[in-house]
Amino acid sequence: MKNKNTLQKYNLPESIEFCKECTISNQRPRITFDENGVCSACNFAKHKQKNIDWKEREKELVLLLDKHRKNDGSYDVIVPVSGGKDGGFVAHMLKYKYGMNPLTVTWAPSIYTEIGRKNLDNFINIGGFDNILGSVNGKTHRKMARNSFLKMGDNFLPFIYGQTNFPLKMAVQHNISLVMYGENGEVEYGGDMTLANSPVKDMSHYNNIFFSDMSPEDWEREGISKSDIAPYLGPTKGEIEENNTEIHFFGYYHFWDPQECFYYCVKNTGFEVNDVRSEGTYSKYASLDDQTDWLHYFLAYIKFGIGRATSDTAHEVRDGKITREEGVMLVKKFDGELTKKYFEITLDYLNVTEEEFWEVVDSWRSPHLWEKDENLEWKLKCPIWIE
Amino acid sequence: MRNIRIIARLDIKAPNLVKGIQFEGLRKIGDPSKFALKYYLQGADEIFCADIVASLYERNSLLDIINSTTNNVFIPITVGGGIRSIKDVTSALNAGADKVSINTAAIKKPGLITEVAEKFGSQCMVLSIQAKYRNSGWEAYYDNGRESSGIDVIEWAKKGQDLGAGEILLTSVDREGTAKGMDIELIKAVTNVVTIPVIASGGIGNLNDIGLAVQEGCADAVSVAHVLHYEELTVNEIRQYCIEKNIPVRRLSVDGA
Amino acid sequence: MGLSMADIVVIDYGHGNLKSIQRGFERVGKRVVLSSDPSIISNADRLILPGVGAFGSGMRHLEKLGLADALHDFVKKGNPLLGICLGMQMLFDSGKEYGMHKGLGLIPGIVDKISDKTKSEKIRKIPHIGWSALVNTGCNSNWTDSCLTNLNQGDYVYFVHSYMAMIKGSEYLLSQCNDEGLLIPAAVKKDNITGLQFHPEKSGKIGLKILEDFSNL
Repeated sequence: MKNKNTLQKYNLPESIEFCKECTISNQRPRITFDENGVCSACNFAKHKQKNIDWKEREKELVLLLDKHRKNDGSYDVIVPVSGGKDGGFVAHMLKYKYGMNPLTVTWAPSIYTEIGRKNLDNFINIGGFDNILGSVNGKTHRKMARNSFLKMGDNFLPFIYGQTNFPLKMAVQHNISLVMYGENGEVEYGGDMTLANSPVKDMSHYNNIFFSDMSPEDWEREGISKSDIAPYLGPTKGEIEENNTEIHFFGYYHFWDPQECFYYCVKNTGFEVNDVRSEGTYSKYASLDDQTDWLHYFLAYIKFGIGRATSDTAHEVRDGKITREEGVMLVKKFDGELTKKYFEITLDYLNVTEEEFWEVVDSWRSPHLWEKDENLEWKLKCPIWIE
Repeated sequence: MRNIRIIARLDIKAPNLVKGIQFEGLRKIGDPSKFALKYYLQGADEIFCADIVASLYERNSLLDIINSTTNNVFIPITVGGGIRSIKDVTSALNAGADKVSINTAAIKKPGLITEVAEKFGSQCMVLSIQAKYRNSGWEAYYDNGRESSGIDVIEWAKKGQDLGAGEILLTSVDREGTAKGMDIELIKAVTNVVTIPVIASGGIGNLNDIGLAVQEGCADAVSVAHVLHYEELTVNEIRQYCIEKNIPVRRLSVDGA
Repeated sequence: MGLSMADIVVIDYGHGNLKSIQRGFERVGKRVVLSSDPSIISNADRLILPGVGAFGSGMRHLEKLGLADALHDFVKKGNPLLGICLGMQMLFDSGKEYGMHKGLGLIPGIVDKISDKTKSEKIRKIPHIGWSALVNTGCNSNWTDSCLTNLNQGDYVYFVHSYMAMIKGSEYLLSQCNDEGLLIPAAVKKDNITGLQFHPEKSGKIGLKILEDFSNL
């Protein structure tokens, strides 16, 4: 299989550099490093810790919520949730601290884990929330996942698109103008920093009909009909504007700390950690709900050299939970660990053989990141622990 | 019944005292030596210090903290986390610890329990068991609640005693840090099969939980963290409660000694 | 530190948490030296024989280092000796841990396992670990001229041991503790020799008081 040119596709720098303060590398798409070799996410974290008047931000939140609160029993804010700690924190705060009436919206994972389903149930029953769970026709979802994996090297795109668009559809359908996300991922984890000081998501490039650069007609050629693809698409731009939809980030109004979200949700929404640490990292409390999501992280490791342990340690270093040294140790120990638990079930879900699987995966290994060692095993050319 | 011991438990990620939930999370609470001193002065019967990242980072960084703590704290101190060899035990004892607690290394090499017991005495060898409820029983976990061993907790407790452990520190992975109550069934199941003292740990949220652990679970001691660190209870309140409930405990003399 | 400067010499024979004992005495203002040198030991002002571990092993190490003789020399001079835990047990004639072993023979009696059954046939957990109250049940001695002088009946101290002294008569018994109906010798005294089964250096403020009072005997 032809090697995908990730350098070009993702506009990656050819020479690998690691942030001086956290564990992320310059291979994360859209991340920037300053003249001291510090990444934009670290700089944002420092800005967050030092320069922002959180009391003022809360005042802004209260004004916003006052504007949207309905007080007539109908829903006044959409909160996308998975049952995990981030959405759980946002929904609970909005409802119980700020008196809003949230409708929580969940886009179903490909294959639920026991702990994922349990946490969603606890969120609904112990936290006390109304929830809409959007589940796509399983046959279609599998086809989409397989296609995305084969063509775009990411099985998770159907999930990501639905997760983004379904809450918007619900907002329009239920006449709710306000949508509240957790954190702005681009800003917190190193990406497009243009909206670092804005509370709202930029909708100027919103296009509901293109799913991974493929139009509905492109998909039809792949055997995916218009009705198959409809659930993944969001409302039209017109519908969004007519609904006066505003998408805000709670992380703009409240100091975002995923570990604190975890503590909060254990206390308030019945959140439970996983049995064992997630494969590929050391943590037990993040991204627990889908048996196939390991592949999404694994592919990021292949494409960018950035696995789950790198992502987890990077934000924990920025949040002051661990030191960079400890982060490097954890990356060395866990990054890129291949799942034992979910390997077969995922390949079965995607309907690929192991041979096909590795053919696809290996086609995403850019020579600027990967080489084969003396045992003909793939290894990273520049891992963080050899600096 | 012997006097129940009230043990203050400090999870440490040097240089901080931290408190997690279900062995996840590293929320900083403060300076461990200060907290150890505080609990000693409040009348704790023992102190337990665990280095919760020793296995993760394969290092031992507790010794300085133990050294400074034992300068001012004159009750027994147990040290756990990353104790892997006789050398580690010796270092811990030399730094001022009275007992060591071992989990991961004992699971990987059960013979270590006997080695430690023979060289330093059984009373020095506390077997730490992290128990996760699974498949209508409990499985022993290691690496600070991160990895599953496949070993049944009840069998392991029995084996640990046979190999020479002097005490068992039994922590419920499901309950620890939640303050939602202890796993009484777990405690009972273990105290039923061993004749060495069992310290119950994980989940204490209120005074009743302690009563249940001792009266129903038959624990010989309770290890308390969350409620002390978050100042929801003091050691003295726990002691008074035990006295009221006719649970035998040490009585402090008038000046708190 | 020169011998003349030290108030307390603690015997270092490889058994026991010496640092804790040292810290305890230092906390009450005494200067402490740890030593395995027979001449320092026999010439000390006050001597501590600590100990954690097995009777046989403890005695072997004392003999090997020439310290058993040094101890006897010290005792003859009449200065105060304090044996703690295993250190107390070795003061007796013999001990039955992992076989029969000769002790220092300074106080009559033998050391044997604590019974693992109570009088009502219930299980007694071994080791005896935890805080127990000192009582003078069955004791003949007055606490006044001992290191327990500032203590009250019922004060709690910390025990951790699996073996206990079996003494005939109450002549040298200073204090006992009641462990689920079994009276265990907690403190013994014969002339200038005191033995404590419990750990004063781990018994909080009360323990520190005992260390201080021993220093003033």
